[in-house]
Amino acid sequence: MHHAGASHDGHSAGELSVADAEVTCRQFVELVTDYFEGTLDVRTSDQVEEHLVMCDWCATYLEQMQTTIVALGQLSDPTPPQPPDTVLAALRARRNAPP
Amino acid sequence: MSAEHPGSAGAFTGSDERLLASLRAGDENTFRELFARHYPTMKRIARGYVSSDAVAEEVVQETWLAVVSGIERFQRRSALTTWIFSILINQARTHCARERRAMPFSSLAPSDADDPSVDPDRFQQDDEAWPGHWATPPRPWQKPERRLLSLESRERLKHALGQLPERQRLIVGLRDVEGLSAEEVCDRLALSQENQRVLLHRGRSRLRAVLEEYFDAAA
Repeated sequence: MHHAGASHDGHSAGELSVADAEVTCRQFVELVTDYFEGTLDVRTSDQVEEHLVMCDWCATYLEQMQTTIVALGQLSDPTPPQPPDTVLAALRARRNAPP
Repeated sequence: MSAEHPGSAGAFTGSDERLLASLRAGDENTFRELFARHYPTMKRIARGYVSSDAVAEEVVQETWLAVVSGIERFQRRSALTTWIFSILINQARTHCARERRAMPFSSLAPSDADDPSVDPDRFQQDDEAWPGHWATPPRPWQKPERRLLSLESRERLKHALGQLPERQRLIVGLRDVEGLSAEEVCDRLALSQENQRVLLHRGRSRLRAVLEEYFDAAA
């Protein structure tokens, strides 16, 4: 169930101005990465969190981003790569070189 | 141009000293560990510059050969890792120039900055009841377990990652697949934090949208 915010002053998407009372959903989806990275200023971060409390849909979007990130982590290759023979040979030559 | 940068973000440390000694002695175990630790990252970065996986592997191989042959001359002006990655980038650039491709990372392309993360039509317009709020909101994904994806959806994600614009693919690959920190990525690629974040944001947003399509179709 979507809970609408208290006031909607019709700000268009784009930067959050100092006068903005709250974050809209359209703004939120552009702020989500900064939010995860911890690079939002305190005021904007608070506004994002307030929005997330009130907006289940953006909370869903946030969770989907988290799922995407975790899934990406699962794509990394677990097999340890082996150095090519040429490189190992060069290394052995080092080992056998006179001191 | 020297590959070492005095005062660079990665400074030569005590553990670097031990690593340097092992490498100079030709210690294979230490080398294999170092190689394995950095290979996925190096390959991803090289792949951002050249036209194929095979060429990227060549670039990485040549880099390690240069590391082994240059290790005696290394002067501790930066961390070993910083030095290794700057060799990599130089090698990648040489190959890139040979292939006559455009150099990545010289600037953030306009298209990288301008794409919205979500189709603007999914939000209410300024003349509607709640401007900026969802018109077509995201629906929760039906997953077997919280945050665990099926093999099929993971394949879809993998494919989509490969389809991302090169720079987004590289940043998402390094940050989210290989798990490097923002600082590490910016250091390896000489990229600003902000540009790195923009690319990460665009890439992740596209991939979320791909998964959303998948889950909406499956529902």
